[in-house]
Amino acid sequence: MATDFWASSHNKRWIVDRATLKQARSEDLQYVESAEHIDFLNIYFANLIAMLGKRLPLRQRVIATATVFFRRFYVKNLYCETDPFMVIAACCYVAAKAEESPVHIKNVVSESRQMFSQEGYGIKNFPSDNSKLAEMEFYLVSDLECDLVVFHPYRTLLTLCGREAAHAVVSEAGEVGVGIDNGPRYWGTGEGRLELGEGPLQTAWHVVIPYSNLTERCAFELFHRFIINDTYRSELCLLYPPHMIAIAAIYLTLVLNDKTRDAIQAQSAAPAPPPRRSSRTNTGSAHRKPAPVPQQDFVGFMAGLRVSLPTVAMIAQEILSLYTLWERYSDTAPESGLGASAASGVSAGDDVVTPAFLTQLLLRMREARLADLAHPASGQPMATNKRLGRTQAVG
Amino acid sequence: MVDDWSQALQHDVMRVYRAKRDEAHRHVSHKYTILGFISSGTYGRVYKAQSKDEDGKLHAIKKFKPDKDGDIATYTGISQSAIREIALNREICHENIVALKEVILEDKSIYMVFEYAEHDFLQVIHHYSQTLRSHIPHDLLKSLIFQLLNGLLYLHDSHILHRDLKPANILITSTGIVKIGDLGLARLTYQPLQPLFAGDKVVVTIWYRSPELLMGSKHYHKAVDCWAVGCVMAELASLRPIFKGEEAKLDSKKNVPFQKDQLLKVIEVLGKPDEREWPGMKHTPEYHNVKRLEDSPSRLDSWCKQRSLPPVAINFLSKLFIYDPDKRMNAREALLHSWFQEDPQPTYNVFKHQLNTPSQLPPQRRITLDEAPSMMPAQPTHAQHLPAQFTQPQHLQGQTHGSVTSFASLSVSHGGHTRKKTRLG
Repeated sequence: MATDFWASSHNKRWIVDRATLKQARSEDLQYVESAEHIDFLNIYFANLIAMLGKRLPLRQRVIATATVFFRRFYVKNLYCETDPFMVIAACCYVAAKAEESPVHIKNVVSESRQMFSQEGYGIKNFPSDNSKLAEMEFYLVSDLECDLVVFHPYRTLLTLCGREAAHAVVSEAGEVGVGIDNGPRYWGTGEGRLELGEGPLQTAWHVVIPYSNLTERCAFELFHRFIINDTYRSELCLLYPPHMIAIAAIYLTLVLNDKTRDAIQAQSAAPAPPPRRSSRTNTGSAHRKPAPVPQQDFVGFMAGLRVSLPTVAMIAQEILSLYTLWERYSDTAPESGLGASAASGVSAGDDVVTPAFLTQLLLRMREARLADLAHPASGQPMATNKRLGRTQAVG
Repeated sequence: MVDDWSQALQHDVMRVYRAKRDEAHRHVSHKYTILGFISSGTYGRVYKAQSKDEDGKLHAIKKFKPDKDGDIATYTGISQSAIREIALNREICHENIVALKEVILEDKSIYMVFEYAEHDFLQVIHHYSQTLRSHIPHDLLKSLIFQLLNGLLYLHDSHILHRDLKPANILITSTGIVKIGDLGLARLTYQPLQPLFAGDKVVVTIWYRSPELLMGSKHYHKAVDCWAVGCVMAELASLRPIFKGEEAKLDSKKNVPFQKDQLLKVIEVLGKPDEREWPGMKHTPEYHNVKRLEDSPSRLDSWCKQRSLPPVAINFLSKLFIYDPDKRMNAREALLHSWFQEDPQPTYNVFKHQLNTPSQLPPQRRITLDEAPSMMPAQPTHAQHLPAQFTQPQHLQGQTHGSVTSFASLSVSHGGHTRKKTRLG
């Protein structure tokens, strides 16, 4: 059912475990010096999707959907065997349609070409032919198994923040008709896994941030939204249901907000990314007991959620380590620094990682992969390899 | 050799990926035997097919038209309506909605494989009007509407508007289960990023289009489907469309015209809408046009009595035909209506009371040979015009064998080996 997460394709087919993710990247890992590089690629590609999305322009939810499509595609495929830039463009194109706000294919092609050819990204050969993107769309939709409805933590945020009107659940009519389930319950108690009443939640929320203080409330929501946006730089959207990510983001917001509220309020006029540096100092607090929150009611609020708090803490922990990693990634850093060290085969270490470096990394991975396909270590040519060979012979 | 490859890869990075995918691909023709052609529409064509699995189940395969650049099928992007139908069908699951078994993307075309339904409402109407020349029995009519509403309630509870309910889109299996089909115009309305009118200027086939849509409302809701259910019920009762108006076509600037004729047909039966009963009417774009139309009293009661509907059914229908969309009976209220509590009660097999007299049952769906060259990708004769790397002698071989349907032969000709070469070319 399209509004019940528990019955959705998202929940049934696209929440994967860590072993699956590890398996998905295992072959890519053979072509990088450090496993961290793969994490940087994850950040890089998500940034590209967000930036391409802004140029098209796509709404935030469409960008999020495109990112989830991208992550799902690479559960099944290898970075070193595909063209992530083409996949990014196709993800944006399909996501726009799936979210009912389509953009014309030629806009996607021209914006992609322009953006990817910029210095720093260095992809000069993005095809100008619409049919190339349309062909990729075909393969992408096929690899996504046609599951195009995606759930996002934003929805939970709106519910929790009381922005969304309370759902009119007509409970007594549940018996009507055969096999009818009540639709509008996003927080469906259907499977008894999650029981959240909106009333108590909102109350708790108001205690944490009084209604009267609207500026603060907005700043709070903004901060929370930023954290959610940031989670798409990682693979969290494949590992956890969106409401768990939303709750982890609420938790982090409450933890971090104490020290950063002033800063956010100053920024709320012109929204800017949250000051991430503060996250480091708070890393220690991200464990089971949400102690450092000034408002005592928050503890009750979290406990009342009846979700696995260790899982929430784990997600929060992962978001924090994402920030730590992200601090070393720079979209703006000059090309020279790491590009040079990468060329000489030196590991990135603690230096700043740039898009240019990551593009080069990807191209080298691709070349090495190709060489391996031509001369497999086993001496037994792989199926793909055989076919390529045959084509070569024919052509 | 590696140099050659990296050169090739610079031109086409996704070669290895495509080769892998194409190899893993299971072709439509390997999984299904096409039994014949069912129908066609603007979207493409529908075929009856049998699974080659042991169960040998029947399916309806909907093949979307491939986009064409001249004679050669090319990739131009999947249509919004195909994306919708695929996306929604993957999420929903209900006994009264046609189930999607799988989607196969192949040869630049999309194949949606649905469960097979032997009949549809239109066919039942034809059977009773042409062959039996009698009313549809009341028990059958009631069961049909009940199951239709049951499926509709599921869609509405899932925040999906169907937007194209009509007799031809409502199917019935050979076991007498109603299945709502064709979600090509359907839309998820939960927190839309775009308003409903932004995507589709015209929704719902004209005879089944609700007054708020006819009057140009841009913000409409589930009530448009409920109006259509009313029209379908009236059509089952009278064996012809109740409001059979002429559609005014879009002008050259694609402006939506005032649907005067259709509204007149509605007013003929229901009388002119009253502002006191439908206050929102004042705000519709076509309000001034409607005001000018002549008034006439509602004669729905006598219309229904002529078709021997009992009073409780008349009450039921009149609630589906309430002008004000906010007051119109919704699917849940309709299912709870006393009409369904009264005998005869709706049955699980809608044909339950007809089973003893087989002549009452509608005939099996007719299938024909496919005579649609337009749906064929590159014909053998076209091969000459294709760039060198696309021509394949094997292609011709497959084509000359011919087979029961051109659809099947088309799949054969593109099967296996040859296709992969085309890709790798």
